[in-house]
Amino acid sequence: MTKEERIIALIILVVGAVYLGTALSMTSMSIGDPLGHKAYPIMLGGALIVLGLALLIKPEKQSGPALSGKNIITILILTCLLAGYGWTLDWTGYPLGTFLFLVITVRLLGEKKWPLNLALSAAISLVIYLLFTRLLDLMLPLGVLGRFIG
Amino acid sequence: MIDVLNHLAYGFGIAFTPLNILYGFLGCLVGTLIGVLPGIGPAGGMALLLPLTYGKDPVSAIILLAGIYYGAMYGGSTTSVLLNVPGEAASVVTCLDGHQMARKGLAGPALAIAAVGSFIAGTIGVVLLMFIGPPLAQFALKFGPAETFALMVFGLSMVTSLAGLSLRKGLVALILGLMMATIGVDLPTGYIRFTFGISKLMEGFDIIVVAIGLFAVSEILISSEQLSAGEYVREKLTRIWISIKDFRDSLGAILRGTLVGFFIGVLPGAAHVTASFLSYSLEKKFSKHPERFGQGEIRGVAAPESANNSAACGALIPLLTMGLPASAVTAVLYGALLMVGVRPSPFLFQKHPDVVWGLIASMYLGNIMLLILNLPLVGVWVRILSTPPRWLFPIVLAVSFVGVYGVAHAPLDLVIAALLGLLGYFLRKYDYPLAPIILGLVLGDGLEQSLRQALMISGGSLSIFYRSWIAITLFVCAAGVMVIPKIIYRGDGPGEVET
Repeated sequence: MTKEERIIALIILVVGAVYLGTALSMTSMSIGDPLGHKAYPIMLGGALIVLGLALLIKPEKQSGPALSGKNIITILILTCLLAGYGWTLDWTGYPLGTFLFLVITVRLLGEKKWPLNLALSAAISLVIYLLFTRLLDLMLPLGVLGRFIG
Repeated sequence: MIDVLNHLAYGFGIAFTPLNILYGFLGCLVGTLIGVLPGIGPAGGMALLLPLTYGKDPVSAIILLAGIYYGAMYGGSTTSVLLNVPGEAASVVTCLDGHQMARKGLAGPALAIAAVGSFIAGTIGVVLLMFIGPPLAQFALKFGPAETFALMVFGLSMVTSLAGLSLRKGLVALILGLMMATIGVDLPTGYIRFTFGISKLMEGFDIIVVAIGLFAVSEILISSEQLSAGEYVREKLTRIWISIKDFRDSLGAILRGTLVGFFIGVLPGAAHVTASFLSYSLEKKFSKHPERFGQGEIRGVAAPESANNSAACGALIPLLTMGLPASAVTAVLYGALLMVGVRPSPFLFQKHPDVVWGLIASMYLGNIMLLILNLPLVGVWVRILSTPPRWLFPIVLAVSFVGVYGVAHAPLDLVIAALLGLLGYFLRKYDYPLAPIILGLVLGDGLEQSLRQALMISGGSLSIFYRSWIAITLFVCAAGVMVIPKIIYRGDGPGEVET
């Protein structure tokens, strides 16, 4: 456990160092502003480095369960699905994109019946789309479907 | 005194016309709907629905908007409790204990105490607004950059010291939030910081994107992990309604939350967030059982929900007495007032008494309506939880993404939210609290700007901070909350908050 805690501390240290380095490399210009735009980020970067070092040298006892390989894969797949769903949303459009996302994710989380999955996913994505665009006047992309509908 | 009551009677006369009652009700209803949808908070909801006020007379328009405001604030707590999805930054705190209560089958009491607390706080808040609003506004005028900086330091240290098991991990989370706040254009100089060449980052991180990513997405990731490992347990609903004991337990928390919220609300800055975080921290600090907080403690829902609502009343004081919008919501109200031809200024009370007193009276009305509207709905909302999780989780994600997309219509925001969800997952796994990140992000800009402005005024001398007794008091309190838990608990920490 302590090993994992140390790895996290190391990552914090790296984040602090990158942030501090970027802050230090900014050109300074301060007219009537004693701190300018540089000093405050430098303080933050320095503070994070100090904390990272402290956690590296004397790690906290971890109380949560450790990560397991199988779980991590599920989590990574879910994150990728979500990010992909978001990234392609303007192109697929909200109704179609949401339908695909729901079908895959619900299957991944254990829904075995395909007909139910397909029908319910289609209905839900359409209802959400109509609820927001028609009732609340929010703008959601229609994507490729827009070409067929108008 | 008599004067105030006379004015109030006059206000009730205006607010209690059938048409205005109808507008108040419509506002509360639409507001609740907006609030229940994740990602759209009160300010966003009001801005979105501003067109509804076109062509109405000023008083009705303001009553309608005020209704949307309370409704959205109340609705936001619903998703926090049920799904751990905060509608806005202020409801992040409600997630902490509210969602734990829901996991224990106590979603009904959590929602009910939020409604009752909001009602009590809202009602007391309006009374305070009438009587001590004007003198308080004068005091708030004394807050220069140095005092504002000190207040923010106090708020941040309070939340950080009580956020998790480890002070160091809390500080790491806080600094990460503050760092996120520095990304983008630095307004005073126009200098672009930490965008690493990604033009989207110029405008910085939006709070909605981060709140949904860190809280909602990571929550679903953790729950999905438990679901696929067969460890996801959901307690049966034990009861829907609050017991007398619940109410008696929470009454103190509600009243304390009301007072804290109101006075923080008057001060400029991120009023609601600070108010709800601070009242939660105080409640935990002075509780006999701080270890119960974060595990489904009803006071942990009652206090921030009350603070949130009375802060809303407090925040109206600078707007109504000085014409200064001090928060996002009051800024939208300011714009709405301008749209209907009323210019907020120190003379508002004299020039447009119908608007001011009509608004105040409508707030009493709105509070009662919300209570009537929301208590029967508690049962309906709670049933959402009986949806099978394999369906509930993806649907929540899809709906949350509507909120994120609505921020800027940018698919990249959705990707950022997904990645922040993954970050939140790891942070939770290793007991890094999430609440300080959000608070750091929300207050970070104000913290930096007030520090820089203070030093600009003093020409770089730190004396500006110790010449003001308000600032000194706040700094001493900030140091106190960081150090005292350590002394009391001797390194055991003040109890864990599951965020």
